[in-house]
Amino acid sequence: MKRRIAVTGLGLVTPVGAGREEVWQALLSGRSGFAPVESFDTSAYNVHLGAEVRDFDPAPYIREQDPAQLGRASRFAVAAARMALEDAGIGPSGVAPERAGVAMGTTSGEPREVERLDDQILGGQLAGIGGEFIGRYPCHLIAAHVAREVGFSGVNTMLPAACAAGNYAIAFAVDTLRAGRADLMLAGGADAFSRITYSGFYRLGAIAPERCQPFDRNRKGMIPGEGAAILVLEPFDRALARGARIYAELSGYGLSCDAHHMTAAHPEGDGAARAMTRALADAGLRPDEVSYISAHGTGTPTNDRLETIAVKRVFGAEAKGIPMSSVKSMIGHTMGAASAIEAAVCALAVATDRVPPTMNLEEPDDDLDYVPNVARELRVLTAMNNAYAFGGNNASVILRKWEG
Amino acid sequence: MRRRVVLTGAGVLSPLADSAASLHAALLAGESGLKAIELFPTDGIAARQAGEIRPFDPKAYLGDRNLRPIDRTSRLLLVAAGQALAGSGWSPEDLAGRDVGLVAGTNFCSVRTIAEFDRRGQQLGPSYASPIDFANSVINAAAGQAAIWYGLRGVNSTVSAGEASGLMAIAQGTDLVAGGRADALLAGGVEELCYESLLGFERAGRLASSNGHAATPIPFDARRNGFTLAEGAALVVLESAEAAAARGARVLAEVLGHGEAFDPSRGSGTTAAAVARAVRSALGDADLPPEAIDAVSASANGSVYADREEALGLFLALGAHAAEVPVTAVKSMLGEALGASGGFQAISMLETLATGRLPGIRGFAGGDEGFPLGGARAEARALPVRRALLVAVSGDGQVGALVLGAPRDAKGEE
Amino acid sequence: MMSDTEGIRTKIKQIIANVAGLDAGKIADASSFRDDLKLDSLSLLEIGVDVDMAFQLQLPDETYKEIATLPDMVQLVERRLSEVRQPQAVAG
Repeated sequence: MKRRIAVTGLGLVTPVGAGREEVWQALLSGRSGFAPVESFDTSAYNVHLGAEVRDFDPAPYIREQDPAQLGRASRFAVAAARMALEDAGIGPSGVAPERAGVAMGTTSGEPREVERLDDQILGGQLAGIGGEFIGRYPCHLIAAHVAREVGFSGVNTMLPAACAAGNYAIAFAVDTLRAGRADLMLAGGADAFSRITYSGFYRLGAIAPERCQPFDRNRKGMIPGEGAAILVLEPFDRALARGARIYAELSGYGLSCDAHHMTAAHPEGDGAARAMTRALADAGLRPDEVSYISAHGTGTPTNDRLETIAVKRVFGAEAKGIPMSSVKSMIGHTMGAASAIEAAVCALAVATDRVPPTMNLEEPDDDLDYVPNVARELRVLTAMNNAYAFGGNNASVILRKWEG
Repeated sequence: MRRRVVLTGAGVLSPLADSAASLHAALLAGESGLKAIELFPTDGIAARQAGEIRPFDPKAYLGDRNLRPIDRTSRLLLVAAGQALAGSGWSPEDLAGRDVGLVAGTNFCSVRTIAEFDRRGQQLGPSYASPIDFANSVINAAAGQAAIWYGLRGVNSTVSAGEASGLMAIAQGTDLVAGGRADALLAGGVEELCYESLLGFERAGRLASSNGHAATPIPFDARRNGFTLAEGAALVVLESAEAAAARGARVLAEVLGHGEAFDPSRGSGTTAAAVARAVRSALGDADLPPEAIDAVSASANGSVYADREEALGLFLALGAHAAEVPVTAVKSMLGEALGASGGFQAISMLETLATGRLPGIRGFAGGDEGFPLGGARAEARALPVRRALLVAVSGDGQVGALVLGAPRDAKGEE
Repeated sequence: MMSDTEGIRTKIKQIIANVAGLDAGKIADASSFRDDLKLDSLSLLEIGVDVDMAFQLQLPDETYKEIATLPDMVQLVERRLSEVRQPQAVAG
């Protein structure tokens, strides 16, 4: 009998705002987080748009550490953690610290720290390099900074599964809680905008020049973004005992590996389909019980096509009746934060019976219901959150309505 | 109901040896894998030695398939994975018919690849950055490359927790098998020796050579002043006990339990408390009292702070038993290989379980005043080991502990 | 001088061999990248970058997406070299 897990708090730092309510309203209203990149000069590229986090200062949320000592992704993560715990109504003595853990996902960790090191190396400034590289770069510092901020001394780990990392962290947290190894887990993901990531996707020819249009016939690619999201997960009995507000049940997950190609998904959506099927099995649900799918939906020609194929494989004739939208149409691809942000979106969807739209959708490339351009009210009993990563890492997470 | 998880294979590539048996022989003989650095120019670096794997001819292990898209970190992992799969007793047909997974611990994956990708882009412009390097810059790249190379379609996960990455990967892999997410998977980790990493750790004051004294890492020793960076890859095969029995696999050990903790304060004594919590949690998970532990494989690598905290933490968790339990620290010979360390410890302990011989702590001549681990010594020794405790301590506060047991006999007794 | 067709083709074969782990001597002059040489998308991107650097062509990245065969690549290089009147390719 699996211990049932509740989502009781959400913390979000995104290109369209910060904090659960602001972000949710922004996504429902179709706000765009895209703008010309500001954090570095893009004149050497032939694309210039990014989804950076603007107008948000994480410093007020970072009270136990010096924000200047933290990398950018860590600052976002710590802010999201504070928001999530406050949202969950968990104060300093709300949980025994040794029974509270942190599992975070990321794609690159703190790439700006590598950039700083490289600038110093290329600039012949070896003598000026101190301990800050090791003090700021290793990706496990993201989870460490979160736990240092909130004083959690339970399991602390990173699941750097690239663009599916948030879901992997959530999966680990679910297992940890089900096994009784912790009473509370902060699970999520964080990534920082960087020239490294931008250059990489640019070199792959993956970045859209003007618009991010997931599932549109004329889509031209993804747009890199940044951010962080953290979900507070705890066993149902604890959540109910303390009168927590419960967004949703985290009812299951499924993982798979394509073992096919480092940057291209399996041509028949094989791994993606397996992850979805396993998630449904873990949650004890049939495909026809899914009300909404938060797609990986990056906006690249290949991902969106293969994702549609995979969804049709799993859901068959039901697929057309299941709304599936991609918030990447608004916040871009936030890398390791993406599936954590999208899991939060699913929690809000089941809690409020609303789903966000896929923006910029003019000509759907296929016949699924991609929720074009306008958010929708519908009864969301079960939401599925899908994520697919470099290295063929696929992960699906399922959230289910809790009605008390 | 949690399934029992056993180890049925191992693959290792280390600065001392490229097989479990030869590694064990070298460790027992007190050999050091630390050597002068030849892998890259060491401009601006004072450290003169590291645990470099040399010679390393990937094609000798991996055959003639194209290695260009695969960087050193991934190559190391591929070698260990191939050895582990070969040693597991599966035929290629067996493997094709099952979804074997991989849980790989790593601190950086390849910080060299991400840095080189960036530097080339900065020097030549982003249009001339290498797409292949970008694919290898993500932290789960090595795990992805190994999955592609060997067709590992089971659960594929990467774990980063500093020096504790590898041991925590084995713990995670255990839970995935125990919980039915996988019938079999490879678990352990990898780390590459590179300029960026060595420079970084030296400038952070972590290396044994960094304050001018003897450059040799001496775990737990009163004269220690840091660790020596190393590289390698080490993977064990984790399998459900039923699956292993069904195919008549040779069982090397069983995972009896594991525990994790974190020190958010990093003050004197607080990391020790985290070590104690992780160890108690592991013992509790294994349902064993401290006295049941026959040997300890410590994480100690020569770090002034962490070694002391680990010793104190073991004392807090093991009580009186801490004074007598035999303790080894293989990083005295292998150096600190970050993501690969946990796997090195596990594979070394598999050999100890099988042979009844425990490596010593090379160079150890006595601990700090009040050092509680009476069973730490320089010499290898013979002793029967049925249950072993392995500990991994990250410099940033993560702690992992794992309890391994000798394989049960056919009657289910130990 | 490496500006003649044969020299260009040899150089490109070396690049392909290096990226794809093939034997340059076994690459047929008329090879198609995907069908004959089984090059994947990542390798093709890498080859495009390496060819551009080797011959200092400074062509937009998208140019290489259209190139599907070795003859097409040779032709692209020749045309570009005559356009910019650069008599030498970068050796090595």
